[in-house]
Amino acid sequence: MSRTLKACRSLFIIRVTENLQYRAAGIANSSISIIWSILQIVIFTIFFTLGDATGAAMTLTQAITYAWLTQILWSIVGYFTVDAEIREKVINGNVALDLCRPLDLYAHWFSKTMANKIGRSAWRSAFTLIAAVGVPAALRLSPPVSIEGFLLFLISLCTGALLCVAFAMLMAAVRVGLTWGEGPTYMLESVGMFLNGNYFPLALWPDFMQGFLLFQPFAGLMDIPFRFYLGLLAPSDAFWVIGLQIFWVVAFIAAGRFLLNRKISHLIVQGG
Amino acid sequence: MAHIELQEIRKTYKVHERPTGKWSVLKGAFIRNTKIVQALGGISFSANQGELVGLIGPNGAGKSTTVKIMSGILTPDSGTCLIHGRMPWKERKAHVADIGVVFGQRTQLWWDVPISDSFQLLRDIYDIPKGDFQVRSQELALALDIEGLLSTPARQLSLGQRMRCEIAAALLHRPKLLFLDEPTIGLDAVSKLALRAFLKEENKQTGVTVLLTTHDMDDVDALCNRVMVIGHGQLLYDGAFDGLKEQYATYQGQDIDEVIAAMYKELAL
Ligand SMILES: Nc1ncnc2c1ncn2[C@@H]1O[C@H](COP(=O)(O)OP(=O)(O)O)[C@@H](O)[C@H]1O
Ligand SMILES: [Mg+2]
Repeated sequence: MSRTLKACRSLFIIRVTENLQYRAAGIANSSISIIWSILQIVIFTIFFTLGDATGAAMTLTQAITYAWLTQILWSIVGYFTVDAEIREKVINGNVALDLCRPLDLYAHWFSKTMANKIGRSAWRSAFTLIAAVGVPAALRLSPPVSIEGFLLFLISLCTGALLCVAFAMLMAAVRVGLTWGEGPTYMLESVGMFLNGNYFPLALWPDFMQGFLLFQPFAGLMDIPFRFYLGLLAPSDAFWVIGLQIFWVVAFIAAGRFLLNRKISHLIVQGG
Repeated sequence: MAHIELQEIRKTYKVHERPTGKWSVLKGAFIRNTKIVQALGGISFSANQGELVGLIGPNGAGKSTTVKIMSGILTPDSGTCLIHGRMPWKERKAHVADIGVVFGQRTQLWWDVPISDSFQLLRDIYDIPKGDFQVRSQELALALDIEGLLSTPARQLSLGQRMRCEIAAALLHRPKLLFLDEPTIGLDAVSKLALRAFLKEENKQTGVTVLLTTHDMDDVDALCNRVMVIGHGQLLYDGAFDGLKEQYATYQGQDIDEVIAAMYKELAL
């Protein structure tokens, strides 16, 4: 176990540094993020000024900040497809090579996915953040509601990142041994994309759905951390909300491990 | 007790076939024909510590399947395989910690990082003591002549250079057993000769058991004290290479590839 941990830590560091080399790609990706944010902000502005916004759960300023946060943190908590490297290994049969290592495969892939996420997002997030505070005041990212709110945002963001990797790992486990392509994983992923608030803040959905929306696992990726940042969740709610996130992390890890271990026991290693 | 012991190992693969012809795409969405392909039809053999075994046979014979099963990454349908007293696929992690595996057609080195970083990572993965790691990596770098390559990323190496690094990487943790699946594929004459000389010396020095598959009969001739011929998932010959030559050569000094071709023909492979 300690060997696995030590090896995963080294793998993690090596992957993060490897990814940090790709600054140009980071800049290119951040321009996509910036365009997305501005598009979303335009739509929110139309929605709030033309529609009847009295009684909405969020103000326009909050919605704008939400849009920026979504894009700044997109690579970390908005995106949970199977890690590209793992997907490639599953397709071309190089999973075999990972099985030749005396490591727990789930832990090995978990650290790899996390490292790729953090390494790839670093530049993208940094440049998007610069844009978010550099644009004219009407479009700008607002500061967090309070220091406590910000701390809880950071904590729940870390849990959210774990949740995101745990979900990507479940997708990876589903993908292993599938001979008929990406269909099932794409379907599961698109469900998650709606339910994490990526397209539309969950607080703005109809009232009768709010209970469900907060309890479902994908809220823990973006929406819960962002609510702490914006003050839509009070610090006194932290205990149960973050507890709920942790519950989902544990559930996804358990399901992913179970499925992956079962799959590798009758995995067919492709290629000669 | 034998070091490697395989008994009646069988393995079949399921292959999904797409229907062909008109409307095939549409049909394929509803109907899938599955066909069972037999890769190994009951293979048994054993080997002792320190042997240099060559596994030969035409394409599709079942060589890679045998290596994968012995490496613990593929579960057979039936049969037993004991290596160091363990069933590889049942105790995969413990098993792979004691062996080294190189697949000639794939790379196990981390693509974008310098070879020395890959080695460091392997040190953590195999939990190699620091002092031993230093000694061992230097000794392997010297023997395989890769000292000048250690700071180069794997993706910038030629095939021959990369293969030497792969073999060093597979031996860092001093495995008792080394599996090589087509290690000389695509290598030039110089690299092949160097690799053979190295493996022979390494076997002599450390007593590591080497089991390799190849299509190059000179590999077998130069290196192996025992050769096994696999065809259609069956073990067809097991013994000295000279015996094989005697049995199938039609005249003195016949080219070795011709002998093997004659043998494959005679065995209807
Ligand atoms: N992943 C796979 N799926 C289906 N059939 C396979 C697969 N791998 C190997 N086979 C079949 O099993 C047989 C043995 O293959 P293999 O062990 O790779 O042969 P060799 O390495 O001797 O060329 C071949 O007929 C091959 O087509
Ligand atoms: Mg093969």
